[in-house]
Amino acid sequence: MGFPQRKAAIVGVYNTKQAKMLEGTPWTLALEAIQGALDDAGLKHSDIDGLSSMMYDASLTAQQMWVEQLGGRPMTYTSHGIAGALVTKAAAAIAAGLTNVVCIYFGNAGMRAGPSKQRAAKEAVPVVRKAPRVPDWDFNIHGAYMSAWYALWTRRYMDQFNAPYENLAEYPVTARYHATLNPASIMGERGEITVQDVIDSPMISSPLHRLDCSLDNDGGYAILVASAEVAKNCRKEPIWVLGGGEGIYTDFYMSFTNDWINDHGQSVRKASEIAFAGAGVSRDDIDVAAMYDCFPVTMARNIEEMGFCKVGEGHEYIKEGHLKLGGKLPTNTDGGLLSHSHCGNPSGMHVVEVVKQLRGECDARQVKDAKIGAVLSQGYAVHGVAGVAILGKD
Amino acid sequence: MTQQPYNKPLPQRSPENEEFWAGLESGEFRVPRCNNCGYWHWVPYPACRNCLSTDQTWTKTGGKGKIFSYTVVHRGPGGFRDDVPYVLAMVEFPEGPRNPIVLGTMVDVDPDAVHTGMPVKVVYEEIPDEDVTIWHFAPDD
Repeated sequence: MGFPQRKAAIVGVYNTKQAKMLEGTPWTLALEAIQGALDDAGLKHSDIDGLSSMMYDASLTAQQMWVEQLGGRPMTYTSHGIAGALVTKAAAAIAAGLTNVVCIYFGNAGMRAGPSKQRAAKEAVPVVRKAPRVPDWDFNIHGAYMSAWYALWTRRYMDQFNAPYENLAEYPVTARYHATLNPASIMGERGEITVQDVIDSPMISSPLHRLDCSLDNDGGYAILVASAEVAKNCRKEPIWVLGGGEGIYTDFYMSFTNDWINDHGQSVRKASEIAFAGAGVSRDDIDVAAMYDCFPVTMARNIEEMGFCKVGEGHEYIKEGHLKLGGKLPTNTDGGLLSHSHCGNPSGMHVVEVVKQLRGECDARQVKDAKIGAVLSQGYAVHGVAGVAILGKD
Repeated sequence: MTQQPYNKPLPQRSPENEEFWAGLESGEFRVPRCNNCGYWHWVPYPACRNCLSTDQTWTKTGGKGKIFSYTVVHRGPGGFRDDVPYVLAMVEFPEGPRNPIVLGTMVDVDPDAVHTGMPVKVVYEEIPDEDVTIWHFAPDD
């Protein structure tokens, strides 16, 4: 039995404003996004009967509260994971008759006081008088954090494949160029950058400079996946889920083998194999893509493991400009996590951008005649988590 | 690296890992080794990742390895803010199969001299006024 193609479609998408220190709470940002996606689709909140949370608290209890928020009736499907996989699993659940309209949602209003019970970032950080205790193998004990982890991965990649840093530094340049064409992006208004600008930006954790690193901001988004029956009455044209896959593996910033690159590439490799086989399309059929791109090495490894180039050649693929608008695989046309937005758990916005491209809503950054798109969502690991969705228009 | 008082995160020292933390106090870096298939496991899990046997023994390693990857941190979080630049290394131990790769900070080292493949040894830091000893790596000359 193959993937149930064209049984479900993305019918509504919405990104809230993406910026530092937005007003509100994670809840209100997610709510705004859901309302925006419902309006985009021409659906009502009472049409939703499935929930897929991308919230930091995606527990069953938290989902119950969201069920109540959205109208107080039983939802017949819930799921968690990352956006590309959530789209795929929603489509499969819809095809199986479990649910009709699934809402994938996320909101993050940062460290604010109030109902979210989170500390306001603007308040002074309290002085720590006693060493805080964390789980035994926690990387924070050693002064590691996200940028440092990706620096370790970047170094290993550069060593193993003799990849020049300058090749990888072409990616932030591409992402910024795309952002200049996206009025909603955070960094677009600052204009284009060069590889030299990346090299000249402050060193964060060698070899990574500031312009190699993701943004860190607030924002929300929502995605509605609906049955073909519902989709035909929606406001916008349906963007069909042609295939998809999920790959969850290790690499949670603690556990590694000496075959790191190959071993932990398995999650993206596996999810991509399942997705392309299920969709019945080849890599050459992809007109536009969006992939998790928190640092340049992530992008290089993702295009390798998704099969757009050979393992170890991703840095050359970037250098050759294939990911730019006008290239053979225009990718992250919104500016991605480096220049559009990284709102905490941002991979749903990769879905949103591909949907907008396939609808032809992208104005200055529109990929002409885009008919089939690929999304890769990640997070929660250096490279161990992958959710792929292949999307297409009629 | 130590400040007064020590204000960086410390391990909670879980009872199931007591042999590890006790090992550090006696200058040993112990890793669970599967008695069924011989695999070494870092980070420790309750059962062997290879054969699922729960018959594992905390086994003394040689406390030496080679740098698998590294970074020089120029912006450190929280209590590490004033330590920059400091070196963070992933160190591959020679014990195998499934050689442990262990994360730690480097001490007594010139950041510019660090390179992949560099031989290092485990060194131990007893934290004042706390119930725990933690590990770092230093060049193994």
